[in-house]
Amino acid sequence: MNRRAFYMFMSPSLLVMLALMVFPLLTSAWLSTQYMTFRNINEPEFVGLANYVEVFGDQKFWNAFTFTMTYIAIAVPMIIFTGFLIAVLLDQVSKRIRGAYLAAFLMPFIVVPVVGTLMVKQLFESGGLVAWLFREIIGSRFIFTEQSVKGLILVHALWAATPFPLIVFFAGLQTLPQELIEASMIDGATRLRQIRYIMIPHLRSLFVFVGLISIMDAYRVFDSVFVLTEQNPIFKAEVMMLYTFRTAMSVQRLGKANAMSVITVVMILVVLAPFLARAYKEQTEER
Amino acid sequence: MKRIDNRYALAVIYLLLTAYAIFSVIPFFWTTIQSFKTPRQANSRVPLFIFEPTADNYTDLWLKAIPDDPFFVAIVLVAIFGVLVLIAINARRFPVARGYVYLAVLALGFAVLWSIPGYIRTQTFYDYFLNTIIVTAGTICISISIGCMAGYGLARYSGIAGVIILVAALGFRSLPGMSYILPYWWFGQRSGLYDTHILLIITLVAINQPFTIWMLRSFFMNIPKEIEESAMVDGANRLTAFTSVIIPIMWPGIISTALFTLLLAYSDFLLVRILTQSNWTLTVAISKYAAGEDPGHITLAAAAAVSAAVPIIIIVFIFQGQLVKGLTAGAVKG
Repeated sequence: MNRRAFYMFMSPSLLVMLALMVFPLLTSAWLSTQYMTFRNINEPEFVGLANYVEVFGDQKFWNAFTFTMTYIAIAVPMIIFTGFLIAVLLDQVSKRIRGAYLAAFLMPFIVVPVVGTLMVKQLFESGGLVAWLFREIIGSRFIFTEQSVKGLILVHALWAATPFPLIVFFAGLQTLPQELIEASMIDGATRLRQIRYIMIPHLRSLFVFVGLISIMDAYRVFDSVFVLTEQNPIFKAEVMMLYTFRTAMSVQRLGKANAMSVITVVMILVVLAPFLARAYKEQTEER
Repeated sequence: MKRIDNRYALAVIYLLLTAYAIFSVIPFFWTTIQSFKTPRQANSRVPLFIFEPTADNYTDLWLKAIPDDPFFVAIVLVAIFGVLVLIAINARRFPVARGYVYLAVLALGFAVLWSIPGYIRTQTFYDYFLNTIIVTAGTICISISIGCMAGYGLARYSGIAGVIILVAALGFRSLPGMSYILPYWWFGQRSGLYDTHILLIITLVAINQPFTIWMLRSFFMNIPKEIEESAMVDGANRLTAFTSVIIPIMWPGIISTALFTLLLAYSDFLLVRILTQSNWTLTVAISKYAAGEDPGHITLAAAAAVSAAVPIIIIVFIFQGQLVKGLTAGAVKG
């Protein structure tokens, strides 16, 4: 395909991405230097880097930042470990039963995040199943506090985010050469050693891929935290995206919210840069 | 692989898998049960599993008044949509291009849905449902059309520009929606498009575009070049070869990608929450049920959650093969 034909095919999509991805990012950078509320949308006031100074001195921002990082540090290893464990176990059972299990495992993945969160929350409501178990076993009522809401957010993360690594690892295990396993069995390798020395090395690139996606998803988690904290906006259970949202929409400090958004973009791009560089190298070699 | 034959080990494996399966489906199971209870039953001290089910929550949610002959209406609606789904599934057997069949089914189905409030007095929840369909269908049509062209171009062009676009798209994909949506809000306010379907559709198209072009490109790369080359030798130009030779064999890939676009557009919350005032989609309308003071909110929230989940579950059930194929193809290749 020549260059002209390429740009002909590419232009609608390219135009959309330039107008609605590149341009907004630049706008966001510009808005972050303005003082803007709902009242002066049309004539914002230039304040330089004052918004950034304010963000870095804001205790609530650091609380949200800390909780987001804690969330990533707990949720990502948890879902990757569970996903890998279940994928390995699923690989051991007969093909006929796998389909039924897979259908059950995929349910949280296909349902809308807001709806899924609402469904998980139903279990903990005053007449809910888990709330009742909690009362029977622990002896006190389940109440929504800062700590319990944080716990709930993590339970929901385990429930909603595990299917993705599970499916990817399971698909990866299907490409594992059978000879490797058989040879290792003859050599007397135990199951654990097979996992350690054959499966994990085979899935290494998938671990990197899933880890990266999971970290990005965990960083931008919003829906579940929004639904679970809607009742009692406890600021300490806030994540970065939710604090940005509230700064923009409730407190109406749009410039400050855009400054936070720019900080987020820069942080993500710094983490992502080596992976993008690798993707670039792979793609240039592949073409 | 040689299966595990130790009976105890196998029992433990099944136990763990079943436990995890229960963990996965119990919220669905419980919410569905709750949605058929009266508020009093739902709030009982010990969870009730045996009770007299009531559909009140659903009728309260969807309807202002129950029609005189509800069963007749239900049967007619199920029949109409059953026929439409059958037509869509068998689209390839019709003598016209498949795209037109899908568009016709979509238009007919939408016309039926649009006319329902003329016969039955529906709640605002139904309007949110219609909004969701407009936004989702609009996003899919535009996103897939421009995505197909781009994906095809990227699959066949070997220049460095293609690589740069792909890697840049990967970068854009990794940024949180928030970084685009705040500027969108500002555009919307300045241009007067705030709270319109158009704004929702074009922004959803843009946000999903990187994913769409990556996925469609991987499907186009599986189609051998020789197919369109032979058509071009026969005198077709590249555009005709694309529309009349490549697209017809691309349908499985297109449906796969459309399914993911549907899931993404249907479930988007943040974008719709920020860019609309009253023209909500279902996800935003439902988040309003998360909190409530009156005891009835639990059952109503359950009915709302089930109502929003059911269409997606039906669609995924119909296209489940495509979902797993897309998930593994897109993911394993990275």
